[in-house]
Amino acid sequence: MQVKLRVKRFDRERDREPYWAEYEVEAEATDRVLDLLHSVKWYQDGTLSFRRSCGHGICGSDAMLINGRNRLACKVLIKELGKRISVEPLRGFPVVKDLVVDQQAFFRKFESVQPYLVAEEPPPARERRQSPEARERFDDTTKCILCAACTTSCPSFWSNPNYLGPAAIVNAHRFLFDDRDAGQEARLQVLNQSDGVWRCRTIFNCVEACPRGIDITRAIGEVKKALLLRRT
Amino acid sequence: MAATYHQYEVVVVGGGGAGLMAALTLRGRDVAVLSKLYPVRSHTGTAQGGIGAALGNMEEDHWEWHMFDTVKGSDYLADQDAVEILAREAVETVLELEHWGLPFSRTPDGKIAQRPFGGHTREYGKAPVRRSCYAADRTGHMILQTLYQQCIRHQVKFFNEFLVLDLLIESGRVAGVVALSIADGSLHVFHAKAVLFATGGCGRIYQITSNAHALTGDGMAVAWRAGVPLEDMEFFQFHPTGIYRMGILITEGARGEGGKLINGRGERFMEKYAPTLLDLAPRDIISRSIYLELRQGHGIGGKGYVHLDLTHLSREVIEEKLPDITDFVRTYLGIDPVKEPIPVQPTAHYAMGGIPTDIWGRVVVDEKNRVLPGFYSAGEVACVSVHGANRLGTNSLVDILVFGRRAGRDLVRYVAENDFPPLPPRAEENAEQWVARLRAGRSGSAGRRTTVAELRDTLQREMMDKASVFRDEKLLAEMKEVVGELQQRYQEVTIQDRGRVFNTDLVEALELAFLLDCAQTVVAGALARQESRGAHSREDFPKRDDQNWLKHSLAYRTPSGQVELKYKSVSITRFQPQERKY
Amino acid sequence: MAELSATGGRERPAGGLELYAWLFMRVSGIALLLLALGHLAIMHLINSVDEINFAFVAARWANPLWRLYDWFLLFLALLHGFNGVRVMVDDYVRSPGLRVVSLVALYSLVLFFLFAGSLVILTFHPLAGS
Repeated sequence: MQVKLRVKRFDRERDREPYWAEYEVEAEATDRVLDLLHSVKWYQDGTLSFRRSCGHGICGSDAMLINGRNRLACKVLIKELGKRISVEPLRGFPVVKDLVVDQQAFFRKFESVQPYLVAEEPPPARERRQSPEARERFDDTTKCILCAACTTSCPSFWSNPNYLGPAAIVNAHRFLFDDRDAGQEARLQVLNQSDGVWRCRTIFNCVEACPRGIDITRAIGEVKKALLLRRT
Repeated sequence: MAATYHQYEVVVVGGGGAGLMAALTLRGRDVAVLSKLYPVRSHTGTAQGGIGAALGNMEEDHWEWHMFDTVKGSDYLADQDAVEILAREAVETVLELEHWGLPFSRTPDGKIAQRPFGGHTREYGKAPVRRSCYAADRTGHMILQTLYQQCIRHQVKFFNEFLVLDLLIESGRVAGVVALSIADGSLHVFHAKAVLFATGGCGRIYQITSNAHALTGDGMAVAWRAGVPLEDMEFFQFHPTGIYRMGILITEGARGEGGKLINGRGERFMEKYAPTLLDLAPRDIISRSIYLELRQGHGIGGKGYVHLDLTHLSREVIEEKLPDITDFVRTYLGIDPVKEPIPVQPTAHYAMGGIPTDIWGRVVVDEKNRVLPGFYSAGEVACVSVHGANRLGTNSLVDILVFGRRAGRDLVRYVAENDFPPLPPRAEENAEQWVARLRAGRSGSAGRRTTVAELRDTLQREMMDKASVFRDEKLLAEMKEVVGELQQRYQEVTIQDRGRVFNTDLVEALELAFLLDCAQTVVAGALARQESRGAHSREDFPKRDDQNWLKHSLAYRTPSGQVELKYKSVSITRFQPQERKY
Repeated sequence: MAELSATGGRERPAGGLELYAWLFMRVSGIALLLLALGHLAIMHLINSVDEINFAFVAARWANPLWRLYDWFLLFLALLHGFNGVRVMVDDYVRSPGLRVVSLVALYSLVLFFLFAGSLVILTFHPLAGS
């Protein structure tokens, strides 16, 4: 079938403003949007730039705005979208080129929540024991691939770029609820800042955007509750 | 454009499992990690089923059994001194990961859970053993995340989206690398006492592959061009269960949990080929069996695939233990693995070969294992060799971590004992000329534009047809011609994007050269090796020939760009070669 | 497009204020629901609007508990609404000048209403009017 692909393009070396480019692409209904982008890049216009790697929704490279929703280009099929497809870079990040955005600030926020296990040293000779129930407690948030689809779908983030954002909170949650972790206090302090977890207005865009199906708003709610029970 | 110069004691190239593990071992020292992608995008993250270690959490297990399975799985081509280290250190490595916070799935009493995996057995081959330590079917994701988290904790210095183009060697020592910053197109010279290559594999030489687009053999080709040989490149693993036509991996863990392979006649055909281990036989054997079934017209509906059937398993097992592959199958095939079987075909998965190293990750460059000072390599790009002619499932994760760490440890020693070697004058010159040539373009002989995509498509398709699971002299000789021709035409490649900022057109053109080099060594090694061993299966030489071929190949690049093959012996310590039956 | 701050929003001091604001919204929300339903019941169900006049209010406010009830209702409603608007200003008014103006106006308005309402409730003398 013939698909009309519109791509919002911008090359800061040449363009003053972003513009829409249109491509006609021959595709199968079961092709991914990533296949369309490749088809354009390889056989029509080599100047189109986008990130991608694994091609099946694990590496998190190709999050972008597809028909108005944040999706991974490799995880959405043409048949879900129809014959007219529009693709834009993620909102709220500076555009580097075409669909490539600058994610440095995003990663800095991730780093600011101390997303690593803090535990007493030295560790035991064997593994630390953890019951399947305790492991299940934070299972959902271990799935995060840091694709930024959630953070860039969040109106609170759009209006306030200083907001920590759902992705960083999800990764904080992953350790806050791990019973092996002892770094709660420092992590909660970061989350309790005015641009921390309290900027979440439970809009649920993040939940809809997450390609890994993480129940993000719930996780954020659990972090809020953890802060409350610690402080009051 | 002038290059930017940097100086670090150690430069690690590659931000996947091996590179991050090495960087962590070197934490607190003067180290920089260069990564073509953001490190969390690395291909380690797509590993699914588990990491093998004889923890014995579920049942009796010993590292000696793990070692035996690995050696047997390798069709006796693995170096047994290295395999012994792999099997022994796997245990402490898995425990270290747990201590760093890796969220393994757990047994009811809170230990790390383990599941069966292909080729892993108890008591030297008697029956499958539960050895694969897993976190659902996202073990690689958890490993990559955990390592990256620890790198944040220890403030490891990263250069993200840097593509390595050249390895600098001066007075017989490695002195650094030249890399392209993809973000702004600038060239960077990294002056170092030592360089570790951990750039991953080259699966993109094939059309149907489970490998990420980024896996273009960069490190292998850059080392090869610098005069380092590539070892055992003819051995390329095809994973039996890739999603039909897409190549996306369906973990062996699916069969570990009880999944069965079924042909078009409804038969569980592995009963014929591996009566003891059945669907949990090693990957080379199952991939060949599938090809044989397809060849006899026993594909599903006569087409080019068989079924991986999970429908007899409960919904809970499928959704809890295999959530990601359930999601893949639902997303890409629109079918529910709980109710319907999954169409699968073998998919190019893993390069057993690569840059030859010793057991400390030091790159060795001849038959006598002479070390090239200052050059290290670990992970899929390297060949220790622990996988020999066929890698067992779960052993790649063990490999990257065990040898990434050992390389890191030896680097600590090396940089303490050595000063910075001198940099060659105009270090960036080769890379600069190459990039300038591609940017400038050159019209083809017939005035026609030669594109990267055109050459790459041809390479991938032809490699699939002529140098994949089954091989013979005629096809390989043809493939050699094809690669030679593509190398010629590469000289005429033009790119459309002449910009500097995030020019992925340029990146793909550079990667194509790496792919061609890798394919060239694969084909040369395969053509020369007149036997069938592990993943290398010659129809004109169907038997293993220990008399003549129990040896590693070393492919060197001649000044004219051809392959010259030499061979080196295999280290055999505990297990003498036997016939391989499962 | 706005550049992000170099520190990715980390340097803001941790106040804990937002935690209490968040908690207050939830507690006051529940309290308001009960108080407002009570108010509704008294004004419209138990009594008829036709009967409610100055005398009715005077009689009711003779009991200080009712004054307290109404004072709570006023306070919580005002502060709950105030905090909601404050959050919206925080979220969506990005220009520093407009922000100061909006917040000054908001705080002034709320303080004035709190003061005026309290004045009426606390200083009301039923006898003065009868």
